[in-house]
Amino acid sequence: MPGHESISAYLDAVSDQIRWGRARRLVIPELRQHLEDQRDAFLAEGIGDAERRAVEEMGDPVAVGAELDRIHRPKPQWALLALTAALALAGMLLRIWVAADSDSTGRAALSFALGCAALLAGYFLDVSFLSRRPRAVCAALLAAALAALPLIHRPGAFSPFQLSHLCLFLPAAYACWLYSCRGRGWPGLLAALAGAVPVLALTCAGWYRMALIPTLLTCLILPLDACRRDWFGAGRLRSALAVCGCAAAGIAAVACTSSGWFHAAFRRLAAAISPEHAAGVGYQSARIRESLDASRWWGQGVWTGAEPYETAVPTWDSDNLLTTLIYRLGWLPFLILILAFAALMIWLLYRGLRQRGQMGRFLVVTTVIVLGAQALFNVLWSLGVTWHSSFFPLLTGNTSTVVDMALIGLSLSALRGDSIACEKIPPQRLPRYKIRVVIERS
Amino acid sequence: MDLDRHFVSGSIPLLVMKLLDEKDLYGYQMIEELRRRSDDTFHLRAGTLYPLLHSLEEKGWVTAYEREASAGKPRRYYHLTEQGRAAFREKETAWNAYARAVGQVLKGGACHAGA
Repeated sequence: MPGHESISAYLDAVSDQIRWGRARRLVIPELRQHLEDQRDAFLAEGIGDAERRAVEEMGDPVAVGAELDRIHRPKPQWALLALTAALALAGMLLRIWVAADSDSTGRAALSFALGCAALLAGYFLDVSFLSRRPRAVCAALLAAALAALPLIHRPGAFSPFQLSHLCLFLPAAYACWLYSCRGRGWPGLLAALAGAVPVLALTCAGWYRMALIPTLLTCLILPLDACRRDWFGAGRLRSALAVCGCAAAGIAAVACTSSGWFHAAFRRLAAAISPEHAAGVGYQSARIRESLDASRWWGQGVWTGAEPYETAVPTWDSDNLLTTLIYRLGWLPFLILILAFAALMIWLLYRGLRQRGQMGRFLVVTTVIVLGAQALFNVLWSLGVTWHSSFFPLLTGNTSTVVDMALIGLSLSALRGDSIACEKIPPQRLPRYKIRVVIERS
Repeated sequence: MDLDRHFVSGSIPLLVMKLLDEKDLYGYQMIEELRRRSDDTFHLRAGTLYPLLHSLEEKGWVTAYEREASAGKPRRYYHLTEQGRAAFREKETAWNAYARAVGQVLKGGACHAGA
């Protein structure tokens, strides 16, 4: 094998054949370990020129590299990428059509362009760094959120961008933190639960209260999933009970510190369930239901209200974009749009749950929780159950659309890179033996 | 005895899975173990073994984890999963039937089909 007589030269030749960087990080150290073992064995047997012999034993580096390259390939996610872009495009066209003024048109086009850029940036980003440096990523996201707080609270800052919507990244920060706590026993479980505190506190402080719901769900669902897999080595049931107990305490604490928000939420819920009995808060719900009664299966509805539709339904081009869609185009286009979005979420979740990489699965599940919660609350709001306002992901055309598309891009990147080379497996700890010494007095 | 390469290539996955059915091993150990058990008949090249192990891992038949070997160096150990164990049993049954049929023909025994 001329030219490949040393271990380094041989590994370089194999590495040249493997196009995917992540696969090289897995394959090359393993081959190096093997070559060194073989070389040491030859040396122990007293065979001269041990390194060259070890390399010869391996076989042709080009053939080996080409075979490994064939096995380790990224899995493109073009269909999911296209569906996401198509939904965002539909949202942009819808916004331009329903609110035909230059300001709305410009904002819808800008958020679509930024959203597509975020989607592609996330898709082509190597998300394996999340599993390699989870604590650093979590710390960076929390630090960025903390730094953005003064800007969020300054009215008009960075208008028309709503920086508070960046809170939607915080559940992903928690996923990184939780991932870093695995395999550390009870201290790891406690650290994982304690990590939820700064994430929830920053979300509460970020003014975009809608983000609190997916963050709470993420801080509950992901640790329970980790307990189901006995990540902490503390027993499935015991660790799950600890998570549930801490979650109950956490929700109670949030309820105490944000009692005004909870009180308002319950008042809105009561008004949403029976709007005719609620004064003030039930007004919007009643107007939405009125517009839905006037809608048809296909085509524009017949509005019989005293005021024009745009006045009667105040957030007709943002929170109530779907209500406007139903009223202007009919129930059928609304159902098609909802089904397309549900298909995207189900497809994403199905692929995510089959992920080999733990971090990738966490990322996909977090994305589905964040987008699913927003969609659910927005659909309820659009149908007159005005409990909590939200923007429909990908369609509304604002900062949350850009964040949502970035999250989808990162999730698709995780699916694209799902392979045995997707994450470094931590060294398995050998069990510690306990010895009890009993001294008896004779 | 030099074996025909084609005899060996089809049976390598079965042999590797047999080793992993007994205990978790890393690549170098598998080659040494195979050589020892076959009295130096099966001399598997590492360049053949690792692509095979990685393809078995992609199928979900084996999983890998890092652990320190006896020399204190970290090694990538392979473990046969339940799915892999089921696949191994299936392959083992098929191989035994094939070997029996070849043996019967070579011994000049009864050949039922079309006899």
